[in-house]
Amino acid sequence: MSDRSKSPVWILLHAALVIAVTCSLFSGLRIATLSKPAIASIEELLPQGEVHSVHFLSAILLSLVALAYLCSRVLRRFRARQQYGHKPLNYHRVVTWGGISLLAISLASGWLLFAGISKLPLTRTLHFCAALGLTAYIFLHAGVYLVQFGQNALRYILKPATTRRAQLILSCSFLIIFLLGGWLLLSRFTYYQLPVSTIPADAIIDIDGHANEPQWADAEVLQISTDGGANFYQGRTDIRLKALQNGEEIYFHISWQDPTESLAHLPLIKTDQGWEIQQQGFEKFDESRYYEDKFALLLSSHCDFAGAGTAHLGRSPLPDKPANWHGKGYHYSQSGQLHDLWHWKAVRTNKMYLADDNFIGAPDIVRAGIRRYTAGYQQDGKESGAYVMNWKWYSPNNITPKRLPSDTKVLAPFQNLDQKGKLDWTISWFDYQPYSAESDQVAPGTLMPSVLYTSNRFEGDRADVRAKGVWRDGYWTLELVRKLNTASPLDIPIEDGTCLWVSAFDHAQVAHTRHTRAIQLNLSNAL
Amino acid sequence: MITRLFFIFFLPACLIGAAVIHTPQAPKPSQYHLSKVTAKGEVIHAWGGPWSCVCDSRSGLLWEVKSDSEDIHDGRWTYSRLLQNQGVANNGDCYFEAERCDTEDLIRHTNQEQLCGSKHWRLPTASELHTLVTTEVKPGSPSIETGYFPKTQRGDYWTSDGNLPLKGVYSYLKFGGAAVNFINGQTITIPYRNAAFTRLVTNRSSTCHIAPQ
Ligand code: HEM
Ligand code: HEM
Ligand code: HEM
Repeated sequence: MSDRSKSPVWILLHAALVIAVTCSLFSGLRIATLSKPAIASIEELLPQGEVHSVHFLSAILLSLVALAYLCSRVLRRFRARQQYGHKPLNYHRVVTWGGISLLAISLASGWLLFAGISKLPLTRTLHFCAALGLTAYIFLHAGVYLVQFGQNALRYILKPATTRRAQLILSCSFLIIFLLGGWLLLSRFTYYQLPVSTIPADAIIDIDGHANEPQWADAEVLQISTDGGANFYQGRTDIRLKALQNGEEIYFHISWQDPTESLAHLPLIKTDQGWEIQQQGFEKFDESRYYEDKFALLLSSHCDFAGAGTAHLGRSPLPDKPANWHGKGYHYSQSGQLHDLWHWKAVRTNKMYLADDNFIGAPDIVRAGIRRYTAGYQQDGKESGAYVMNWKWYSPNNITPKRLPSDTKVLAPFQNLDQKGKLDWTISWFDYQPYSAESDQVAPGTLMPSVLYTSNRFEGDRADVRAKGVWRDGYWTLELVRKLNTASPLDIPIEDGTCLWVSAFDHAQVAHTRHTRAIQLNLSNAL
Repeated sequence: MITRLFFIFFLPACLIGAAVIHTPQAPKPSQYHLSKVTAKGEVIHAWGGPWSCVCDSRSGLLWEVKSDSEDIHDGRWTYSRLLQNQGVANNGDCYFEAERCDTEDLIRHTNQEQLCGSKHWRLPTASELHTLVTTEVKPGSPSIETGYFPKTQRGDYWTSDGNLPLKGVYSYLKFGGAAVNFINGQTITIPYRNAAFTRLVTNRSSTCHIAPQ
């Protein structure tokens, strides 16, 4: 530590850096708990709630400090030539250079992640490793200073040499103005734009997943990279979106990479002890293996980070509400504002040519007798809809099926989970018979689908979104349509400027991919 | 120096170690006035299942729970109201009777099988049935706690209150019975011949009593 005291500006920038790095680190590690169980094991030390905004606000602060630092380096280099020689290389200088390099890596990889460019899983790994490196740096730098000099070190970084108040206040105000300005820019002007082409009201678009109507060929494409999900290619998939509207309805054509068509949704297997559900994580509502593929669209009049500000991470982000089972977080809206969520499911809704119409609202009340609390994520009406699961009651061990086929031969096609080709993994309630232990002739080892269709439609509000997806050669293609304005209090009207987020699920229940910047719908040339 | 080392390196290391060792507790249900009772009459865990009856410790009443298993308790079956020869026989739809169904059919079958260990099943009074109505429900759900009473329909459920004057278009039928509507929780009078849903109750069971306050 040099004997000279530090200038007010140095003190301010160093303090800002300490704050920015600490906030980035803690909020970033919380984000990392979503896909890294090792970090999840120290979840008690990490903040909960809507941490994305904190991460991005501190990212701006960090970037500002870095800019100021660069400027001062350039200035100093210019002056230093004339005044002092080089500082001697010692432990702290080496560590500081290490720290500065790590900060540079964090900044570069962080902005790439934010922009959604580059090979995201790789960038994410780099960003994460830099964060680990920075943790070590804090101990090697600040820790060692504190051990060496104790309170003097603190005094040194907090007490400016001169009492030039005006300079301090001026630079402080500059920092705050730039911080707020940066936040405004980042949160208002970084959206992807999706132009929605206008088509004549009498143009017919078949919701069949094929998008072979000529109107689709003319629509503009938006391609975005999403990552952070389970499965896929290292948790990443690229999504292509197109949208059309005819003044009455809005159509989406979406395709994304998925190496496998996963339809075996929590299949049942007969064992020597009876029937069991094939599962890996379902008990904690985080199945990531025996699940159908899904896709979700979040629509909102708000464009805040973290899915319109609805993603609240941590085991109990709501202190007076139950904790979640997987420790990852909840979706809910803090302002009470409603956000629309369309949830297409390859088995449970695709056959009905529908997407489940859900919403994210204020956290629900706690409902006794129900094991999973989902906070703001809820369904638009109807207790179950058109399908039920083929077990009387869920258990991680043995379950009793509701129904069995009258002829066990119909189960033959389902015996190989890895087989390619089209297979309908739903069974019809009416083709199967009520289960009884006596009539259960199924041989141990046999697999059976578990999605039982009881009718072929949802009813009411929950059936507002029609959708059909088709998987071919490593891609899902999905077509969806909904009225621009359904007039339902549980849907939001779609207008120019409405924000959209998309998430893909590869045989995973909740571990979906995500993107940081919202997609803004551009209906300016609406009818 | 030792104290500094302790605070700066040892303490954080201990905190991280403790966080790694500490495993968060799985969520637990809190105390509630409803409890699930199996067909054999055993009380089970609040998140367990399957169950056939629900005990309400506020009223001491044991309630029938509906199913989707096409047995006599299937929630989709409807009944015309017949009670002690008052009402209309066999005007509802169920699969378990050779003829069509009325409330006495359900009561008879349920007592025969001694559902949840009781053979004193009956229709609830309107005020008893009304104790199950809740208004804070999910959109589109019936006005009842579906976590305990699944397969409840958004429709009318018969009560034992009968001999009530009918009004409006049905006034020519003179008398009808009271039913609780599980869309809005209101009690209305409908003709006996109507096919409505039915949930039985008993206040004479070995498993369900009013909890001491
Ligand atoms: C997140 C935490 C921190 C970060 C990222 C950080 C970063 C930095 C950086 C980049 C420098 C070099 C600045 C320059 O070249 O002028 C520096 C200098 C310094 N830091 Fe920190 N710092 C942190 C926390 C601390 C703490 C807690 C202390 C004191 C206890 C401290 C004490 C110092 C001192 C004394 C210097 C000046 C070294 C000199 O004059 O050569 N730092 N810090
Ligand atoms: C000291 C600085 C920083 C630290 C310690 C840090 C730490 C982290 C960590 C640990 C993660 C989680 C990575 C994972 O999922 O494995 C993360 C995610 C992320 N960080 Fe940073 N970060 C820093 C700076 C930045 C900056 C400057 C930006 C620029 C905007 C940024 C943007 C992001 C983004 C976009 C994500 C992904 C969010 C998501 O997955 O939803 N970070 N950060
Ligand atoms: C930063 C962004 C996001 C994060 C960190 C995030 C995180 C999470 C977490 C932790 C859960 C589990 C919640 C629970 O089990 O109750 C979840 C569930 C879910 N998320 Fe997100 N989410 C984000 C954005 C989105 C977006 C933009 C969408 C829609 C396009 C979306 C759709 C869903 C759906 C549909 C579920 C429920 C899955 C199910 O249980 O069926 N999420 N998300």
